[in-house]
Amino acid sequence: MVQEVERYPKATRVLHWVHTGAFVALFVTGLILFVPPLGALAADSWSRIIHRVAAVLFIVAPLIYFPLNWKASVGGIKDAFTWGKDDIGWLKAAPRYYFLSDEAAMPPQDHMNTGQKMWWFMVLVFGVVFAISGLIMWFAKTTAPPELLQWMVLLHDVAFITTGCMLFVHIYLSVAHPMMRPLRTGAWNSMYRGKVSVDYARSHHGKWYEKIARGAEKS
Amino acid sequence: MAEKAILYDPTRCTACRGCQAGCKQWNENDEFIPTVENGVDATNWGSYENPPDLAPNTWLKMEFREVEAGGRVRWLFTRRACMHCTDAGCVKVCPSGALYHHELGFVAYDKDICTGCGYCVDACPFNVPRTDRNLLTGVAKMDKCTLCTTPGLDRIAEGWLPACVKTCPPKALMYGNRDELLAEGKARVAALQAKGWVNANLYGENELDGLHVMYVLDDQPAVYGLPVAPQVSPTVVAWQDVIQPLGWALGGLTLIGLGLNYIVAREAKMAKELPPQKEEK
Repeated sequence: MVQEVERYPKATRVLHWVHTGAFVALFVTGLILFVPPLGALAADSWSRIIHRVAAVLFIVAPLIYFPLNWKASVGGIKDAFTWGKDDIGWLKAAPRYYFLSDEAAMPPQDHMNTGQKMWWFMVLVFGVVFAISGLIMWFAKTTAPPELLQWMVLLHDVAFITTGCMLFVHIYLSVAHPMMRPLRTGAWNSMYRGKVSVDYARSHHGKWYEKIARGAEKS
Repeated sequence: MAEKAILYDPTRCTACRGCQAGCKQWNENDEFIPTVENGVDATNWGSYENPPDLAPNTWLKMEFREVEAGGRVRWLFTRRACMHCTDAGCVKVCPSGALYHHELGFVAYDKDICTGCGYCVDACPFNVPRTDRNLLTGVAKMDKCTLCTTPGLDRIAEGWLPACVKTCPPKALMYGNRDELLAEGKARVAALQAKGWVNANLYGENELDGLHVMYVLDDQPAVYGLPVAPQVSPTVVAWQDVIQPLGWALGGLTLIGLGLNYIVAREAKMAKELPPQKEEK
C-alpha cells in the first residue's frame, strides 16, 4: 500500500469539477461567436441560453464555497498574490523540466507550484472580469451606454482568449504531459480522489510536504 | 454589379408618411390603430410623429423637427431607417454572418441565423437596429430595414422599386444606380446653393465609405438630426481587428506549443527510462 497524503478535500474537488463543467460549457458556447460558420448553432439564441445557465453555476458555485470554507479560501487567495524567489527559480527551471524531464534546477514548491499559481491567479482575476462584464452585458443590455457594452465585450474577449488558451495548458499539464503518466501518480489523482502519494508530494511540492509533515509530528 | 442606392430629398418631402405605411405593409410589420379593445394606448406627446421610435416592427420612420432660423420656424422632415453603410459597424461585429453586404451594396439580413447578441445595436453609428429582448433569458432577434431584400419578400430581386420609394407621391425618394443618384444629388445641391441655401450639402457620399441612402440637405446635417462625422467606434475596431485575430494566433500557438512539448518531452522521458534496459541486452 502506497502511503498517501490528502491534497484537496471533497468540497474543493466538487467546486473544481462544477466550475470545470460550467467553464467548458461557457467556452464552447462562447467559441461559436468566434467562428462565423458555426453561427447557425447559435441561431434563435439557443447557445446563449446555455451560456446563461452555465454562467449562473460559474458565479454561484464559488459564492457558496467561499463562506463554507472561509479559512481555506482566504489562504488560497493570499497564495495567489504571494510571490517569492522560488517562483523565479521555477520559471527558470520550467523549460528544462517540462521539455527534458530535468528536475535538477527545480526549487522545492509549496502547495501550488508557480505554474499552478499563475493559472489560479488568472482564474481569480479573469473570473471576476468574466462575471462583471458578463452581468453588465446580461442585465444592462438595454440601459447601459453602447460604448460601455462594447468595452465589456472587449474585456470578456480578452479574458476568454487568455483563460481559454490556459485551459488547454492546464488540461495538458495535468493529464496529457508525458511526465503526468500514469495518471494515478499525480495531478489527476489529486483532483479526482483528492490524494497523492507521499513520494509525489515530496518530489513535486517539497515545501508543502515539509509543512504537513511537521504539522503531523506536532499533533 | 453596379451599386444601387436610395436618394432622399427632404426639400420635396411632404411628410405624408406613405413610405412608412408602405414599408410596414410590404414587410408584414403590422401596426395597431390604438383602441381600447386591442390594448394599445394612444398618448399625445406633442408631435405628429408616429410611432414614437424605430422598433422591431418599424423599420422606417419619418421624423419631424421644428427649427428656428432667421426669425422663422421651419418644419423639417428626416427619413430614419438603415443607411446601408459600406463600412458598416453592424456587419463588422455580427458573429454569425446574419448581417452581410448584398452584391448591390446594401446591408442585407438573414434573420433565421440571428443569434440575438445585439452587438449590431451598439455598433450602429445611426442607432438603427432594434431587438425584441427577454432580459432574463437573453432571447432576442434583431430587425431593421433590408432595403426590401428580405428573403421571400425580395422586391429588388424581382426588379421592383423598394416599397418606400414605390409609395412616395412627391418623388422625394428615388432608387437607382448609386453613381447616377450621386450626380443627381449633387445637381440638386448646386441648385439649392444657387437659390441661396449656402449650407446645402449631399449627405452620404463619403460618410462611412459611402452610404446607400443619401440625403439632399438644405442645411447642416445636425439640423436634420444626422451625425456629422459618423464612424465605427474605435472599441469595435480594436475588438474585431486586433483582439480577435490575436486570439486566434494565441490559441493556435498554444496548441502547437503543447504538441511540440509532447514530442520533445516524450523523447526525453523515454531516453531516461530506456538506457538501463539497453545495457541489459
